[in-house]
Amino acid sequence: MASSMRGLTVFIADIRNCRVRELEEKRINKEMANIRSKFKDGNLNGYQKKKYVCKLLYMYILGWDIDFGHMEAVNLISSNKYSEKQIGYLGVTLLMHENSDLTRLVINSIRKDLDELNEIYNCLALHAIANIGGREMAESLSSDVHRLLISPNSKSFVKKKAALTLLRLYRKHPEVIPATDWAERIIMLMDQSDLGVTLCAMSLIMALAQDNLDAYLGCYAKAVNRLSKIIVDKEYPQDYVYYKVPIPWLQVKLLRLLQYYPPSDDREIQKKLHVILQTIINNSQEAQKNVQHNNAQNAVLFEAINLAIHLDTESQIVNQAAVLLGRFIISKETNVRYLGLETMAHLAACVDSLEPIKKHQDTILLSLRDKDISVRRRGLDLLYSMCDVTNAKVIVAELLRYLNIADYALREEMVLKIAILTEKFATEYQWYVDIMLQLISTAGDHVGEEVWYRVVQIVTNNEELQEYAARTVFSHLKSPSCHENLVKVGGYILGEFGHLIANIPEASPQEQFRAIHSKFGLCTLQTRALLLTTYFKFVNLFPEIKGEILQVFYQYRHVLDSELQQRAAEYVAITTMPIDDLLQSVCEEMPPFPERESALLSRLHQQHSDTEDKRTWIIGGKDANKERDVARLTLTSRNNSMDNKVKSETNGNDDIDLVGLEGLKINNGDQLSTTPPGSVTPGSEKFIDRLLFTAEGVLYEDTRILIGIKSEYHGNIGRLALYFVNRTQTNITSLTTAIENISDLIITTPQPPPSIISQANQTQQLFHIECKNVFTGMPNVRISFISGTLHTIVLKLPVVLSKFNDPIQLNGSEFFARWKQIGAGPREKQVVFRSNVPINLSGVRTIILGFKFEILEEVDPNPTNIVGASVLHTSGGGMFGCLMRLEPNIEAQMYRLTVRTTNEVVTNEICTLLEPRLANESI
Amino acid sequence: MISAFFIYNQKGEVLISRLYRQDLKRSVADIFRIQVISNTDIRSPIVTLGSTSFFHVRHENLFIVAVTKCNANAALVFEFCYRLVNIGKAYFGKLDEEAVKNNFVLVYELLDEVLDFGYPQNSETDTLKLYITTEGVKSERALKEDSSKITIQATGATSWRRPDIKYRKNEAFIDVIESINLLMSAKGNTLRADVSGQIMMRAYLSGTPECKFGLNDKLLLEKDTSHKGMARKSTAVEIDDCQFHQCVKLGKFDSDRTISFVPPDGEFELMRYRTTENVILPFRVHPVVNEIGKSRVEYRVTVKANFSPKLYANNVLIKIPTPLNTANINVRVASGKAKYVPAENAILWKIPRFQGQYEVMLSGDAELSAMTVKKAWSRPPISMDFQVLMFTSSGLLVRFLKVFEKSNYTSVKWVRYMTKAGSYQIRF
Repeated sequence: MASSMRGLTVFIADIRNCRVRELEEKRINKEMANIRSKFKDGNLNGYQKKKYVCKLLYMYILGWDIDFGHMEAVNLISSNKYSEKQIGYLGVTLLMHENSDLTRLVINSIRKDLDELNEIYNCLALHAIANIGGREMAESLSSDVHRLLISPNSKSFVKKKAALTLLRLYRKHPEVIPATDWAERIIMLMDQSDLGVTLCAMSLIMALAQDNLDAYLGCYAKAVNRLSKIIVDKEYPQDYVYYKVPIPWLQVKLLRLLQYYPPSDDREIQKKLHVILQTIINNSQEAQKNVQHNNAQNAVLFEAINLAIHLDTESQIVNQAAVLLGRFIISKETNVRYLGLETMAHLAACVDSLEPIKKHQDTILLSLRDKDISVRRRGLDLLYSMCDVTNAKVIVAELLRYLNIADYALREEMVLKIAILTEKFATEYQWYVDIMLQLISTAGDHVGEEVWYRVVQIVTNNEELQEYAARTVFSHLKSPSCHENLVKVGGYILGEFGHLIANIPEASPQEQFRAIHSKFGLCTLQTRALLLTTYFKFVNLFPEIKGEILQVFYQYRHVLDSELQQRAAEYVAITTMPIDDLLQSVCEEMPPFPERESALLSRLHQQHSDTEDKRTWIIGGKDANKERDVARLTLTSRNNSMDNKVKSETNGNDDIDLVGLEGLKINNGDQLSTTPPGSVTPGSEKFIDRLLFTAEGVLYEDTRILIGIKSEYHGNIGRLALYFVNRTQTNITSLTTAIENISDLIITTPQPPPSIISQANQTQQLFHIECKNVFTGMPNVRISFISGTLHTIVLKLPVVLSKFNDPIQLNGSEFFARWKQIGAGPREKQVVFRSNVPINLSGVRTIILGFKFEILEEVDPNPTNIVGASVLHTSGGGMFGCLMRLEPNIEAQMYRLTVRTTNEVVTNEICTLLEPRLANESI
Repeated sequence: MISAFFIYNQKGEVLISRLYRQDLKRSVADIFRIQVISNTDIRSPIVTLGSTSFFHVRHENLFIVAVTKCNANAALVFEFCYRLVNIGKAYFGKLDEEAVKNNFVLVYELLDEVLDFGYPQNSETDTLKLYITTEGVKSERALKEDSSKITIQATGATSWRRPDIKYRKNEAFIDVIESINLLMSAKGNTLRADVSGQIMMRAYLSGTPECKFGLNDKLLLEKDTSHKGMARKSTAVEIDDCQFHQCVKLGKFDSDRTISFVPPDGEFELMRYRTTENVILPFRVHPVVNEIGKSRVEYRVTVKANFSPKLYANNVLIKIPTPLNTANINVRVASGKAKYVPAENAILWKIPRFQGQYEVMLSGDAELSAMTVKKAWSRPPISMDFQVLMFTSSGLLVRFLKVFEKSNYTSVKWVRYMTKAGSYQIRF
């Protein structure tokens, strides 16, 4: 074996034997000179090159600078021997970084290895790409990596590596990877039978799906199915069981992926998810003895709870979870407590009723005194989230008490949160003022500017608060030591509202002035400037202390700081004017501040920076999360009903800013105009026309696959089955169908199609259809499968409005009564058109019957004319009567079609459905 | 003063550890090992960490370290360290790890004697040898006799000399050993040139001889010329500073710059001095080094001996640095041997015997290999090593050595001169 590189072994032994650095340096220098002369001479065979590159690498690893030999490493890559190639790759990955000029040279060799049939070579190349991973490499090689990932021929370990390599490239240069174009193929990987591949692919999909929610929508159903297979059906190889939990990593990833998307409307999926979550929760009812088992189980459980909260906060599962969480937050294990608190914060951030959480309020308050700081933080987050009007006083008081002993790292955040909670849930103004002043005096340095600005804003805007505020501030100012921020608040409030308490004996103007001025000397220049303005306001409010104040102004006209000097000089000038008019108008009471978003909230939100794996919720109450939802939906507004729901919620909710809503509307518009109507695969149109008036037939066929359809309808619901026939000699895999729903037509799949069709065999998939209201057009179905390569077929499903018709029998008088009742106008439509085929009356009748009209005999005097009637059923919009009359002119090959229904949309739709079919079909 | 004293081997293992004061713990030894020995960046002999200063000297494969907590006189501490090295050499022949390990009891004994509560004591080898002996324990009577001698000597006027020394042949040897430091710029300007010299004396003289010693010291001679009216400035040497063995009567030196002393028996260092003016360079080097393109460097180095043709230099070694990416070297020399030593990244040119006024030349070229990242060559200076006998770079000469003794015997005096290269560097 080539590992017996004697020279290398001897060299390493020599270096190891060097007792001091100097000796090592000498040995290294000698060896380098040797290698240089060897490389210079050239004519080295592969073994020698490998040996010398190895030596260089060893020196490099020891920390010596290597400035030659790169080319030799690059040459080794293109060797045919594995051992040489391996060393070459090792050298390249160690010696090169993503921006070195030499990477350009390697790209071709790497590409060649990616194309090789030998998997080991593929893996070496993938490792190199992932390790170096520069932009250039990403640009030129990502498609090759992608090919390896999706190729049916690659071995599963190559796929795993390819997925992770692609993930690394995507993280580094997201713009290089055409994430949307590859979406379908990558999603397919979730169907892989090898769980290891699925796990790696999931890491990739999670990263891609976060940024391209729409393109990766297909993964939602797949994730649910996969989960259900693992958890409910218990289908997994034994190799992937980790301490009795089947592949917890994959489970967690799948559960997390589902949280990126809004809850699905598909009832089948909902049902399945419910079962999954319920099973997970049932499985974890009891804690396990084994720590690892417990960890794995909890990991899955917590992610499941998060998903449950995300799906529906009111569900039974969430209630069970809340009980479980209550148990977790008193656990002895720090990790479990941490997770429990975090998840509970998530719960608190989303649920409507905080009752189940409030039960644990005492425990949560205790967690503020936990010995682990991260647990304390989570406790704080949770308290912040669970606070509402009823428990605000208790929580705020507890937080204030804790503030004194809290870690410095935590204090600023605590101050912000206390300030927000106090403002949000204050029922009495006095309480608000008390708490805020107490906060400012205790936390002092940790109080940001925003906090006291906000206090001033609120006091100014609430008249009934002003006197109380002035009194409290004054009493705080009289205490011997008080923080500078409090002086600022005090200065401002007394300056504005000092006159309200001037009648109280111990708060005479003089007293007020002295209380402030005693703190004046200790303050920073900025505060002094503010206080000068206060004094100036005092001159206006209390002319009796003008003399005292003027002295201060005179003194400050000579101070060094230009700001203070200017203020003092200007104030002196105004106060010493003979008439007080200017003084009064300048010092008029401040107008109320315009309502604006609390600066505190924006400050708090700044602190959360999104990491790679984004959180799907934020700390804070329900409102905060709703706002965030709105913001998120403006980006990915996809689901109309969801939008509507949010809109109705936001309309009732005043504190949502309008900007968000506007953004939402605009984006909706964009969405409609930019989404191209799914272009249908050519070759399928010829079948569709016929299927509109027949219940079964062929929907599509080509050399690989034949798709048949069968359907039946009763009133507003229907069932539809698609048959897939494999026409090839190999298996078709990863068969996936996705319906592009149109509004008011709900199509659900009770079961996904079996993903594999063995050769010359067939499978079927069932769809449930429900017509909610009048709709137009046809839904598209997107079918993709792998047969050799990926094929995607987009077909129109022959589900049209007329399918929900039920023929009714009417006699002549009834018909005419209704005909007249509907009358002409918008609810009638008449078209005259030419038939492209000779008119065959019996054929025409079949077509009309196919469109589910009952043909009424002997209503029209002319027997060639056809009169039809039917009732359209919808579950949400009720029933609509439809009447039609067709007058064929056989000689001229012309028709006149008159349709009258009780709804103008229905009229139009029926007309557009009937007209082309009559004109072109011949039976 | 010195709070602790350690000797480490090269790996940083503590061989000797002696604490003199309470202000340090034994664990400081680890701090030094971690901060200095294991840390390749620190090569300064003084490292202060917190309030603790470590002074270290490297000798052979040992680190000799003195530690202090106070603001000690650094020169004194270093002098002590070097003195200890000399004592070690006198006792064991060679002070290295082996010697310390074999004699560690003796080393502790010596350390106890030469340092007391961190203050250096008598470190004269001859005196120490009186009572710290390498032989086994002596008989009690002899010990008694000796100990009385020790007290007499230690308390006497000349603590460095026994009174009852007798030689049949009275001889005195003087060695003037100079080491020359040079740094020359690429253009041939001398950036730095100085000579540090040492006058070693071996005195084998009977009784209590009083010696007088004269140099061609400029100050002394100028004083003389004012008396005699003779101009001898050209050969006089200006000594920048000097220091003497404790036997030299400094009072006399200060008043009339005469060096008079009662020498200790055997070998001792009489004087150390330094000069920076009128340094005579024994060798002139003219390097021509051209980098031709990226792949070749051409060398033409000429060396000329600057001293009298009667004299010659021994063991001349010229170290010519080569670029770091040298692949091959071709050199041709007229005399001596030159070869490329990759371990040092240099061409070593050895000339065993180099006659005065001769000129030798090396020509050669280096082939360079391609570098991935082009870095300019830093061109470190050419350095030289040599020994020239009977030559002083400073021009210092011993004018006389007179010995006066009560018995008035005649004595034989020998003088030798030698110049060594210190750091002799020429930039190119």
